[in-house]
Amino acid sequence: MAQRRAIGHAGWGRTIAAAIVAAIYFLPVLIIIMYAFQGRNDILSISARSLGDYLESIFSFTPTLSNFENVFFRANIIQAGEGAAQATETDFPLYFLNSVGIAGISVILALVIGTLAAYGFARFPLRGNDTYMFIILTTRMLPPIVVTIPIFIMFQVTGLAGEYPGIIALYTAFNLAFTVWMMKSFFEELSPDVEDAARMDGSSETRVFFKICLPQVKAGMAATAVFGLILTWNELFFALLLTSNETRTIPPAMVRTLGGEVGADYGLLAAIVTLFLVPVLVVTFVLQNQLLRGVTFGTIKK
Amino acid sequence: MTQASDSMAQGAATDRPVANAAAARRRGSFVERNRGPLLVTPALVTLFVMNIFPLMWSFGLSFYDYRLTRQDLPRFVGLDNYARMLADPSIWESLQTTALIVAGSVGLQMILGFFMAMLFQPIFPGRRILLMLVLAPMMLSYVAVGVFFKLFYNPNFGLISKLIEVFQGTPPNILGDPVGAVLGIIFADAWMWSPFVMLLVLAGLVSVPKYLYEASQIDRATPWRRFWTITFPYVRSLLLLALLFRTIETFKLFDTVYIITEGGPGTATKVIVQYLYRVSFQDFRTGESSAIAYVILFIVIVLTNLYLFMVKRREQEQ
Amino acid sequence: MSDIKLVDLTKRFGELAAVSKANIEVAAGEVLCLLGPSGCGKTTTLRMIAGLESVTEGDVWIAGKRVNDLSPAQRNIAMVFQFYALYPSLTVAENLAYPLHAERLPPAEIKARVDRVARVLQLESVMDRIPGRLAEGEKQRVAVGRAIVRDPTCFLFDEPLSRLDVALRQQMRGQIKEVLSGLDKATVIVTHDQIEALTMADRIAVMRDGIVEQVDTPHGIFARPANLFVAGFIGTPQMNLLPARLIHYADGLGRFAVMGQELTVPVDPAVGRLNGTGAVTLGIRPRGFEPVAAEGADTLKAVIDIIEPMGAETLVHAVESGTDLRVVFDHLVPVAPGEPIRVRIRPGQLHVFDEKGTRVHSA
Ligand SMILES: Nc1ncnc2c1ncn2[C@@H]1O[C@H](COP(=O)(O)OP(=O)(O)OP(=O)(O)O)[C@@H](O)[C@H]1O
Ligand SMILES: [Mg+2]
Repeated sequence: MAQRRAIGHAGWGRTIAAAIVAAIYFLPVLIIIMYAFQGRNDILSISARSLGDYLESIFSFTPTLSNFENVFFRANIIQAGEGAAQATETDFPLYFLNSVGIAGISVILALVIGTLAAYGFARFPLRGNDTYMFIILTTRMLPPIVVTIPIFIMFQVTGLAGEYPGIIALYTAFNLAFTVWMMKSFFEELSPDVEDAARMDGSSETRVFFKICLPQVKAGMAATAVFGLILTWNELFFALLLTSNETRTIPPAMVRTLGGEVGADYGLLAAIVTLFLVPVLVVTFVLQNQLLRGVTFGTIKK
Repeated sequence: MTQASDSMAQGAATDRPVANAAAARRRGSFVERNRGPLLVTPALVTLFVMNIFPLMWSFGLSFYDYRLTRQDLPRFVGLDNYARMLADPSIWESLQTTALIVAGSVGLQMILGFFMAMLFQPIFPGRRILLMLVLAPMMLSYVAVGVFFKLFYNPNFGLISKLIEVFQGTPPNILGDPVGAVLGIIFADAWMWSPFVMLLVLAGLVSVPKYLYEASQIDRATPWRRFWTITFPYVRSLLLLALLFRTIETFKLFDTVYIITEGGPGTATKVIVQYLYRVSFQDFRTGESSAIAYVILFIVIVLTNLYLFMVKRREQEQ
Repeated sequence: MSDIKLVDLTKRFGELAAVSKANIEVAAGEVLCLLGPSGCGKTTTLRMIAGLESVTEGDVWIAGKRVNDLSPAQRNIAMVFQFYALYPSLTVAENLAYPLHAERLPPAEIKARVDRVARVLQLESVMDRIPGRLAEGEKQRVAVGRAIVRDPTCFLFDEPLSRLDVALRQQMRGQIKEVLSGLDKATVIVTHDQIEALTMADRIAVMRDGIVEQVDTPHGIFARPANLFVAGFIGTPQMNLLPARLIHYADGLGRFAVMGQELTVPVDPAVGRLNGTGAVTLGIRPRGFEPVAAEGADTLKAVIDIIEPMGAETLVHAVESGTDLRVVFDHLVPVAPGEPIRVRIRPGQLHVFDEKGTRVHSA
């Protein structure tokens, strides 16, 4: 009789089944990555003669790095849509810098403000603590458009529309809700006994926070920052309405190249997506234990 | 909502004594007595300025006839905007479309996510790396999914259309057909987010103590019985949480719709946020759009409340 | 024919041998306790019998059948888990009925059996509650009930009482023993509590580091410990294990150098075979002494260090030549710290262990 396996452990049979599912799930991603290394014709020529031809036309191509070159070195790509009237000027190196700068600054700001607040909510609860936390989460759960209607007016009035401070402030708030929830969940996992022991030993509150609590949530802060970066980097809606030619980030820039059906340079777009996807995949792998918390904005720990 | 924001404004601005143990113990300086409020003030102020205040403003706007593009001063019209909204058949239509897409996509996500979680529950060689591959779609951006699924659906150059052509001879115009467009949106969204459901269900599955499975082996339970009596109770609450979370998120679906179909063909995929986008930033009916925004706000508040209630209940169960 | 038989049973986790070459037999109707310190391989042994852990080497026989390759379900055993493993979403009644579903019994029969078990274990009043709403003792009884509701070939218990408080533990010991005595099945109980083992077991297997050191009746283990480990492990207060040197043996009398004194006492004739090798260990239980007034060749003296009153008795810690001696006196014997005491070993209370730690005795 075959050797019985304990429940909870499966063998290579399970690996094969899981690999098939993973292949199906990952296929579109893989195709996007492959697009990044293909010329325009390779991407757009797909045979439907037979399944074999179809697959071959997908997986055989002449690899090229020109898409990546275009992202970084061809500063201006004039993208002609169906009509010359729809011509769109794109400037991806700038947008890249914008995305990095705007996401980076707003994530750091949110991390600083949000970690303090999370510590406050976790350790010095206010009257109506839960209500505050609820309101904070609600701001994150709302469709961005609900806030954008008045923000749009506000920014027009104050002249912040299309300027860096405006979009950075908005993204900081956008990340803040997420950061407060995430960091609160990390602080709540710490044992207050350690902090009390430090207080008994005469540590000031400032010292307790910086020397006792912060070091214990360092990994959590890193995870929060990473998830914040991913969310901000991918954000389309605010950027679409509140950035200008100079402050535009990657997502609206990508959308703007879609003017005409054939006009879009899919290789270039795939290269952009791939550039960001690789670090994201690494993060997914490394932060697997924090993933659940990250994607539920810190509301579910385990 | 306004009440809540009022009390929040107070909490942030005043320094009334706070009923918390840590502060009460130490009757020290101002800072010592108000540690909690001081810590959270910067965050609350930021959120107030960037979120709450705008929302209050747009609440006000929802009672005015106002167009951003016109120079006219806002004119108070009372509940006119709400009345007009309720009378407008297209908002009902787009709410229906939203409900359809939410039901289809979230339903599909739940089913796929659940079975993938079952598949990935045990330890097996290569599990970690395969898991990463399955989770990849969720980590992609809406824009990437939108841009490339739009291409995949393209009748002349799209992978998915071409694959269908291999079997039926002619390429389908997926996005040109109302049903096809809805299915296309659902398919892309469900593909992207079923890993999320999987992740949550998996969290439930791994929380089942191993000894319960061992006990059921000793007790000679069938796999079916084992599932319903042991496994399912542990994933039930997480399934519900996944359902709520995904419902809220899918309810605000915009990016992929905006990119893939722009609400078309006709109004086939005009979800509520897409509709609101049109009213507010293409027609610039600002007053009316504020009224619609408040309806959405209300729905999201209800769902979020429900969600947090379930989160709390699950934490208490554990 | 024994109902459970372990033959050279071995389990290795990588390099670590959790169980090595265990040979144990348990007859039908017999209760065997696996006793030993934490990490000695008790649970692993039990899980191999249950089929929850695969066997590295050796065989497990149940009811005359080699079951190494059978799944737990096929072995037809009942097991009580350390943490009870009650199904948290099912009521007590459903938990008790759970093992019966596999037997395809008619519902009426299931109900009858469940009710009978509930009556025996006094669970009738909590039948509709879920385990989360039960007291610890009730949970424990449900776990036992779930095991005895069926008609298995044998019973396995993993530390069944470890989560109960002292009073409840005592009560449950009696109850489990009573329930088991009516069933005529082979039973293995894992425990690290020697009182539990001594009171519940027909025989005890003492384990250390994966090795079965001794299998004997509770009395046998206590009165004739096979080696230093068993001697030191069983019995409270712990047996005195005094390093000593055998000076001479003749005619059933051994002369030892111990605690800086010379001691001449009657010993097992087998001690004679040790003549000349010298180093031995003398094992005497603290209750194996009697106080004497006068010095003699068969007495030991020491100075009282600490006194622990234990009610009817007094535990005295005494020291002499850097060696500690634990002695239990009747509470009427007057003692005070700093005073000298003089004791004689009661007949038959002296165990001699050789250099390897094995008890020296004639067959
Ligand atoms: N699955 C495993 N993998 C590796 N080592 C294990 C495993 N299970 C048990 N061990 C090791 O085997 C040894 C025996 O473990 P076992 O659980 O049988 O001890 P035990 O006698 O039941 O102890 P306790 O009284 O603490 O329950 C221990 O050293 C333990 O660390
Ligand atoms: Mg154990």
